[in-house]
Amino acid sequence: MAKKPKVAFFDFASCEGDQLQIANLEERLLDILEHLDVVSFREVSSRRGEDYDIAFVEGSITRLQDEDRLRGIRAQAKILVALGACACIGGINCLKNFLAENVYREEVYGQYARWYGTYAARPLSAVVKVDAEIHGCPIDPNDFARQVKELLLGKAPSNPDYPVCVDCKKAGNICRYDLGRPCLGIITRAGCGAVCVTQGAHCWGCRGLSPHANLDAARLVMDRAGFGRKEAQNLLRFFLGHTAATL
Amino acid sequence: MDAYIVHLERLPALFNAWAKDSALSVPSATPEGFYEFIPWNGEAEIAWDYDLIYNPPKRFVMPAKETLISFDLKDLQAKPVFEAPAQIVFGMHPYDVKAISQLDQLMELGIPDQNYLKRREATVIMALTPQSVAETAFWASVGAEEVQHGFDLYWTKIGPASFLVEVGSKKGEELLHAAAPPTRATVSEKEAARRAKIKVNQFARRKQLLYNWEETPRLLAKNWDSPLWRKNSETCLACGSCNLVCPTCYCFDLVDEVDDKLETGTRSRSWDGCMLTSFALVAGDHNFRPKALDRYRHRYFRKGKYIYDKIGELGCVGCGRCVRACTANIANPLAVFNALWEESTHAF
Repeated sequence: MAKKPKVAFFDFASCEGDQLQIANLEERLLDILEHLDVVSFREVSSRRGEDYDIAFVEGSITRLQDEDRLRGIRAQAKILVALGACACIGGINCLKNFLAENVYREEVYGQYARWYGTYAARPLSAVVKVDAEIHGCPIDPNDFARQVKELLLGKAPSNPDYPVCVDCKKAGNICRYDLGRPCLGIITRAGCGAVCVTQGAHCWGCRGLSPHANLDAARLVMDRAGFGRKEAQNLLRFFLGHTAATL
Repeated sequence: MDAYIVHLERLPALFNAWAKDSALSVPSATPEGFYEFIPWNGEAEIAWDYDLIYNPPKRFVMPAKETLISFDLKDLQAKPVFEAPAQIVFGMHPYDVKAISQLDQLMELGIPDQNYLKRREATVIMALTPQSVAETAFWASVGAEEVQHGFDLYWTKIGPASFLVEVGSKKGEELLHAAAPPTRATVSEKEAARRAKIKVNQFARRKQLLYNWEETPRLLAKNWDSPLWRKNSETCLACGSCNLVCPTCYCFDLVDEVDDKLETGTRSRSWDGCMLTSFALVAGDHNFRPKALDRYRHRYFRKGKYIYDKIGELGCVGCGRCVRACTANIANPLAVFNALWEESTHAF
């Protein structure tokens, strides 16, 4: 194999939970790192390098000055990978986008609200070109491993473009709608193995809308199942706030 | 056909004997009030009167994900992988048995599917006459209410604690003798089983096609341009649920995966579905069924015509799983075929 690609990890507005998920690979991480040269990964190493080929970027963009930093990363990296829901789709940071700016600034910074510039949260792709996306809140470490291996083998990293229902049926789960519960699996990108439903919860939409999602049909389904506009809206806004669709 | 009588109290001994050499699955109620095949653990409560097993039994012969090939990235060698554990599925309703018989035929057509056939060879199927009919089922109107083959044993409850067991294969008959030998059925006991089948089939006919099911291929052929396809498909979520819960859908996708050292890997297949948007996506970014309408219509043609053109039976056994699984409420073959029938002129 050619020279090991140099990789670096960065974060913006996020909980760094996705980088933690990578650290959670534990022994597996050692095998994967045989093929990579990690020059910067704040969460697991004190090494700092500015020369890298692949940048994994976690978090959403919430301030004007974030944009400059992200553009700098983009200029250096040959491949930029968005890591987790905040970076890929904006994620729960976008909840604030449904409030007026002065309201969320007051809420977070109180009397110092005027000191901090902040704007509507957005995914990395709203600012720079993103080459690959590792979805989820948090990401599935297996999904990280899979996509990194695809990159190392020279394949284009890929994601499913169908809804979570597919994963759910493969797992043999009872449909939440058969239990009279709401679920966003009908419009959310699969690839998680329907882990939330399998564990007894419902789908929250953390992997973003599946590319061919039929939102009108989903609203109809939720309405017929007895979940009104408000309830459906609250569910949809939780992760899917950054979208041109009316939520 | 030989038939025996088996009493309820003898079943645990039989089950325990079978479970020694095979993975035995039995129908049982789930905590949510649905039914599934679960592994026999020596004391599982059997749901004799279940109406429908929630997930299709195709997973026994075609798991959701299955390894086909293992390969080595260093010496570039590949080896076939066959997994065919001995298994017994007890209590399968006739329409589900028919669905598996259909897979048997289709997997043997053309290039025989070795992975499927080996798994099927190691699988014993014990049919069970239904005592309840699911709200969404219409199997009695598509010729799937009884089966003449595809089972090793066929159980019918004829008394509070007695079953008539018809023999479908030598293997089945041997299994029946695994514990104390059963008694042969009398003529009147066979008659009781026949009546039990008639009774439930008559009840099942409350949901019916408006025409003889064998007209379906011709009905579809003249309704390619029906406005129904567009109207219904507008609400399609393209989630593939109708495909994945269908006991006769067998399309799969292939995926290669490598280990973390990038030394070895596997090629697996996993369930796919023609209702998914990129199912028909091919090289050059061409999609030969790009619209929801194309995909929606295709599924009905597949179930009602294309399979019939291959083997002379409908690709739908009327289990009603897709009717329940479709949250958008558009995946009802009975409703679609009847609607087409009603809006057609019948000058064949």
